[in-house]
Amino acid sequence: MAQRNLEKQLNILDYALSSLWRRRLKSLSVLLVFAAVIFLLASFQMVTKALSDKAREVLVHTPEITLQKMSVGRQEAIPLAYRDRLAGIFGIRRVVPRIWGYYFDEVRLANYTVMGMAVEEMPDGARLDTALASGTMPGPAGQGLVAIGQSIKKALALEGRTTFSLFRPDLSLKAFEVSGEFSPDTDILTNDLVVMNLADARDLFAIPAGLVTDLCVYVANPQEIDTIAKKISETMPSVRVLTRPQIQKTYQVVFGWRSGFGSICLLTALAAFVILAWDKASGLSPEERREIAILKVLGWQTSDILVVRFWESVIVSGLACVVGMTAAYIHVVYFAASLFRPVLMGWSVLRPDLHLLPRLAAGDILLTLAFTVIPYLAATVIPAWRSATVPADSALGG
Amino acid sequence: MLIELSGVSKIYNQGRANEVRALSDIDLGVEQGSMVCLKGPSGSGKSTLLAIIGCIFPPTSGRAAIAERQLARLPDRFLTLHRRETIGFIFQRFNILPELTVLENITLPLLPLGVPPKERRQRAQELLARFAISHRARFPAGQISGGELQRVAIARALINNQPIILADEPTAHLDTALSREFMEIMQQLKEAGKTIVIASHDPLVFEHPAIDRTVTIQDGRIHVP
Amino acid sequence: MFLNPWSLALSLCSLIVLVLGAVAGRTAVRVLRFWEPGSDSNRQIRLENAIWLSSTLIAYGLGFQIITLILFVLAADEFCQVIVGAMCATGALLANPYGMPALLIKLVGVFFYGFWILLHQLDIRSEQYPLVRLKYLTLLLLLPLLLLDVSLQTLYIAGIKPDIITSCCAVVFGESNGGGSNLLSGYSQQGLLLAFAGSIVSLAALGLGLGLSRRWRPWLAGLYAAGWLWFFGLSLVVITTVISSYVYAMPYHKCPFCLLKPEYYYFGFALYGTLIPATFFGVSAAFAGLVRGRPGLAGVVARYQRLAVRLSLILLGIFSGLSFYHYLKYLVSGGEG
Repeated sequence: MAQRNLEKQLNILDYALSSLWRRRLKSLSVLLVFAAVIFLLASFQMVTKALSDKAREVLVHTPEITLQKMSVGRQEAIPLAYRDRLAGIFGIRRVVPRIWGYYFDEVRLANYTVMGMAVEEMPDGARLDTALASGTMPGPAGQGLVAIGQSIKKALALEGRTTFSLFRPDLSLKAFEVSGEFSPDTDILTNDLVVMNLADARDLFAIPAGLVTDLCVYVANPQEIDTIAKKISETMPSVRVLTRPQIQKTYQVVFGWRSGFGSICLLTALAAFVILAWDKASGLSPEERREIAILKVLGWQTSDILVVRFWESVIVSGLACVVGMTAAYIHVVYFAASLFRPVLMGWSVLRPDLHLLPRLAAGDILLTLAFTVIPYLAATVIPAWRSATVPADSALGG
Repeated sequence: MLIELSGVSKIYNQGRANEVRALSDIDLGVEQGSMVCLKGPSGSGKSTLLAIIGCIFPPTSGRAAIAERQLARLPDRFLTLHRRETIGFIFQRFNILPELTVLENITLPLLPLGVPPKERRQRAQELLARFAISHRARFPAGQISGGELQRVAIARALINNQPIILADEPTAHLDTALSREFMEIMQQLKEAGKTIVIASHDPLVFEHPAIDRTVTIQDGRIHVP
Repeated sequence: MFLNPWSLALSLCSLIVLVLGAVAGRTAVRVLRFWEPGSDSNRQIRLENAIWLSSTLIAYGLGFQIITLILFVLAADEFCQVIVGAMCATGALLANPYGMPALLIKLVGVFFYGFWILLHQLDIRSEQYPLVRLKYLTLLLLLPLLLLDVSLQTLYIAGIKPDIITSCCAVVFGESNGGGSNLLSGYSQQGLLLAFAGSIVSLAALGLGLGLSRRWRPWLAGLYAAGWLWFFGLSLVVITTVISSYVYAMPYHKCPFCLLKPEYYYFGFALYGTLIPATFFGVSAAFAGLVRGRPGLAGVVARYQRLAVRLSLILLGIFSGLSFYHYLKYLVSGGEG
């Protein structure tokens, strides 16, 4: 009994395959359009997925808690003295001052991210020295030493030289010497980054002694981040407290928002396709009517024909999914999502040459299926039923 | 009696403006192993009668028992289940699917029965050999000659070894030689024990010596001369 | 938070299921009003055809419901990344009062579709179609269920307020109560495990008794069904409080949903993928007995009942093996592996 049933399903599947093959032009055109829609949707999802993964990777290097001083709703320099007021809070491992900002190079029309930090004071895991491809990080002693990212190197056109100069706010020149170079692997973080020691950064931006842009707080137990942040916030109400999980969540929301927005735009493409699918499936040609009526006279049930139609839809949408998602993966990984980059990035004048590598879990594939295959199956079910209920007697003459 | 109809009527679109009374009050019995011809002009209702005997739809009223099973009040699903076990159909113009191969056409009735491919091929090849068309097994059915097509259609009606063969105007589009060949095959099948009902108004059919009885249908009733 | 691919996918699927359900509901109303067994009027022929439409729609509905159920849990897991205080899907589902009810209603939906399909399969096996009225009355109950499902899900998604860093306030300390990752607590693990093992043994004994005895005893089947319902609930508790932490190898991580993640080799799919059908078959054996007296159904129902009991026993075996696997592995390796 069960054996017979299985054989029957296999026979019907076989018939569905041959039926698709007989109408290969029609099947192939539906498949290609569907694959294109899936390609767009899946590329979009993979890009956002890869970017948010990257962002998470980058955030591993950020301090657990960042303190900034706010005044008139804007950020301003924070006195180093605030460090002492943190001393009483239990659970803080270290507080490292940082000067972090942007330098606009008017000669080369590029924006650099400048970070002045006491690297030697940072806890082991948080140091950026692992990201260096060559050289060393600027220490506290050496004057004018910097570590730079790949695109800075390109923008400055160093070509073998190791020195360059930048303007202070009063337009006097400050000379720098490159002591280290970041590896292209960490481009998303270090591409447009110039790292120097605190004194040089203060000199470059003319920040008065005793002030920095923010304080980085490292805690002993990551589970206590929220508690410590709360205590800091209570001790110093004027200080803005940013925690790493908080930044992470913000990134997630932004990426999710972008991805959702993109999905909505692409849903119109999907809707158009579904209408096409409905139309293709419901237009029953006289030959098809005749075929179904013959099958029914020969002993096929309405439900058997419905199963044929179901398999046809599943095969078409399954193949379209495989083709579309493979193409999307190649597009994202090997062509760096060239179709979508202008939409999804653009947070810096210097566009990092990203290498995107989405880690796909079964859930992400299911998400794409839910966006594409389910609407397609739903759009074809009623036409399938219409064709399956062609009466058997229409095969009889006269 | 393998086929037993009493007081069978069929009304299309009952209760509507386009109501059509296709059959009224038909009594008909067909013995096992006999060959009966339903004669009558087109529109006389013989196709409808054939469809009721063929379990394609139930009668509106009356009793119809095919192979000892009452058809009245049977839902479509059970009619189909009964049909595929008892009735082999030969259509007008044979209704072969031209894009499928000869072998695929013949085995179509076996697919929903869950017969595995190997057994399907085997059964089909036996029949193809019997009708001397084995060399055409892999040809698309649209590319074979009329005589071969006719034999394919007969083979398809026999594939599940059904006891009853129904043919609807089988010779309407055939020349004399092919029509004679058709009737010869029918005669052989009758001798092999099949019960055969042919709807036709072709004298080559109803005057054939193998026909046991000719029933004339006129305006939906059996005409007694 | 609708502007997120997961929310969009869920809403899209729900919308589709709702439309399919509405079409099936329309069919149900027509069948209930005009069904005339034995008639060969055009309307009756159309209604007989409509039966196939509704059954196909419900079969699709079941498939889509299972997919949305999985999507919902995975979406919650994704949402937890944007909700303060949520460590995993449990936290995200508890983030507002609609999460858990929405999940439960989805689960109920899966069972509902399953029972309807069973009813349909039994019905079309008898020439009289004896269950047509019952079947379509039941189908009408589907619509409120679907509406409830969609509303709860929409309320849940609408209620998720991601915490974005704004320029004025940086940290949201609102509901981060530190916990939010544990669904249930305060049960004794040993006691639970004992009850779990005891239930498995008694269910197996009951099932074997049902399957081996010559005569079908309805009260025994009823007991078996009740046993399965109890076992289903108990299993969810045991998976949450005991099994999950052994799978994660983390004593304080008790979450029934993280099991579904690739980190744990999609173990949860195997676990729930046996528990849910096992419960369905265990309960449906007694359920099918309710329509045994209808014309033409006695043999069909009896055959289904034997099959259902056998399937539920096989699935019970697999489920017990899966659920004890990590626990025993832990006992043997002493937590080193």
